[in-house]
Amino acid sequence: MYIYDKFDHAITSERVAEFSQQVTRRLAGELSEDQFRPLRLMNGLYLQLHAYMLRVAIPYGTLSTKQLRKLADIAKKYDRDYGHFTTRQNLQYNWIKLEQVPEILAELGSVEMHANQTSGNCIRNVTADQFAGVAGDEVEDPRIISEVIRQWSTFHPEFSFLPRKFKFAVTGAAKDRAAIQFHDIGIHIVKNDAGEIGYAVYVGGGMGRTPVVAPLIKPFVARHELLSYLEACLRVYNMHGRRDNIYKARIKILVRDLGPVEYARQVEEMWPLTRASGVDVPAAEVARIQAFFAPPVYETIKEPVAAFEESKKRDKAFANWVKNNVHPHKVPGYGAVTISLKPIGGIPGDASSAQMHQIADLSDKYSLGEVRVTHVQNLVLPNVKQADLFAVWQRLGEIGFAESNIGLITDIIACPGLDYCSLANARSIAIAQRLSEHFADVDRQHDIGSLQIKISGCINACGHHHAGHIGILGVDRAGQELYQLTLGGAGDETASIGTLIGPGFTSDDVVGAIDKVVETYRGLRQNAGETFIEAYRRVGPAPFKEALYGRR
Amino acid sequence: MHMSNAKVINKVLTANRLRNGETVYYTPAGEWVLYVSQARVATTQEEADELAKIGAAAYAANLVIDVAVIDVTPGAEKKPSHIRELIRATGPTVRADLNKPITPPKK
Repeated sequence: MYIYDKFDHAITSERVAEFSQQVTRRLAGELSEDQFRPLRLMNGLYLQLHAYMLRVAIPYGTLSTKQLRKLADIAKKYDRDYGHFTTRQNLQYNWIKLEQVPEILAELGSVEMHANQTSGNCIRNVTADQFAGVAGDEVEDPRIISEVIRQWSTFHPEFSFLPRKFKFAVTGAAKDRAAIQFHDIGIHIVKNDAGEIGYAVYVGGGMGRTPVVAPLIKPFVARHELLSYLEACLRVYNMHGRRDNIYKARIKILVRDLGPVEYARQVEEMWPLTRASGVDVPAAEVARIQAFFAPPVYETIKEPVAAFEESKKRDKAFANWVKNNVHPHKVPGYGAVTISLKPIGGIPGDASSAQMHQIADLSDKYSLGEVRVTHVQNLVLPNVKQADLFAVWQRLGEIGFAESNIGLITDIIACPGLDYCSLANARSIAIAQRLSEHFADVDRQHDIGSLQIKISGCINACGHHHAGHIGILGVDRAGQELYQLTLGGAGDETASIGTLIGPGFTSDDVVGAIDKVVETYRGLRQNAGETFIEAYRRVGPAPFKEALYGRR
Repeated sequence: MHMSNAKVINKVLTANRLRNGETVYYTPAGEWVLYVSQARVATTQEEADELAKIGAAAYAANLVIDVAVIDVTPGAEKKPSHIRELIRATGPTVRADLNKPITPPKK
């Protein structure tokens, strides 16, 4: 875990003091809402349907148990006893009072947390592979450069008023678990032919009303030149991004309009200037940051671990959970556990303060005191000994988070939707809950196999519907909620945008429509091993259209 | 005055309280309260315009934000017509435990 130095502490506490004053002035009527809104947004504070919402940054999805307990305590003291983990690996509180925000920020600051830059037209919280540091297929721990980017982008004066918001994602592994090509900049840590570590940089991806899979702009940036290259990328965008039209203001539109080749050329032209500015981080500083992410001390364990193998044989439910929820660890005898925040019929990503405390306790006991947040709205215990997995699974059962559904049809992403969000047109959570109940049967879920449903309650696509194998977009048609289906999206290293399959479905009909899509897939797959997305890419939309709408 | 040509409307004034974000409604007594059934109803365009003016003044006075004049059903219940406003009035449909009624609970 990164630990704040005196500069981090100073800027965090100064910001708390500054925003506290701004809140005081707002409540006293010295600042109007028009003046105050951009200030509160820069501090992660929105107004939603029922109250203010505070979005707390969880840099690259990594939490200590001390931080998780603080998040739980804030939920209990200042909110309604729960929080919502988001696709940006952040945590949102739904029932916040403006007059208490300064206190909350001070509490967050006490555990080296904040809500800075979780909104506004600036560089947002960097997201990363949730298995950072423990994945076997990793070239380098993505948290190292994520932290470098966090420090560089925090209160960056040049990039505090960009044309629009700006999101980074980093993966250090061959398998993309961070959806990097759907970000403004996606970074893939790679090795070149000489065996040197560097960065492949994708620019101009995104979701929203114009979904784009980011093109590769630079296949290899050397380690010591990353920040000057990123600064050049941002500077070109900051100069030429469309400030005249909010719908065309994201970098994806600039890269699309210029063309990736021309955009890359302009970045190359800019690069010598940013290089000369001295922004690149000296190797010694990178090494200092890297040291914070040094692997913990692992025990030497010989596989197979007899008790673990025995438990799997004895208990089919446990074996299922291991199959779906335990990711191979780079160290023999360990596993990385994904805690499903998707209990059947539950609210995706929600956890009560009691549950957060219980997970923190579990991590302290079994996972070296660290917790990760995934962009699929689940949590991870990254370092669990195989011998402890059975006990962890049993305890998760008591907590209510032992569903063995990671990557399966009930592991649904859902934005807060019209139940909370002032931008939403339709409810998302309610649809996720009904789908979860409809597909609850574990054997059926396993038979269906890998299938990601992602639901957004409006075109802003916080629920990542464009990247869903099955995407659901809620729209408002004459005051009624209507749900459009997209098929064939993917957020991994084979990134693709889902195709709108036809007219939308009412809330009553949408679950049945998804069932038809699933049964169509089961009927046409070549074998049990052909996943939904593989089958869809083989056959295209036609059989699904026919199943949904008949022959036309 | 004969109103047969006027469109029948039922509108109330809503906003969120500045200091705590609560969803509130404007009453005939000039207060901002939690329950939509207690709201002052405008049944003519002139009355709706008057509510909008009151809302703008309350916004300018830093009492409330996100001010809107919304449609409600006729009659005592005054249920917001659009689902968005109904959810604002009663709370998230997925958390019945956190919902509030349209009318204040009896003491």
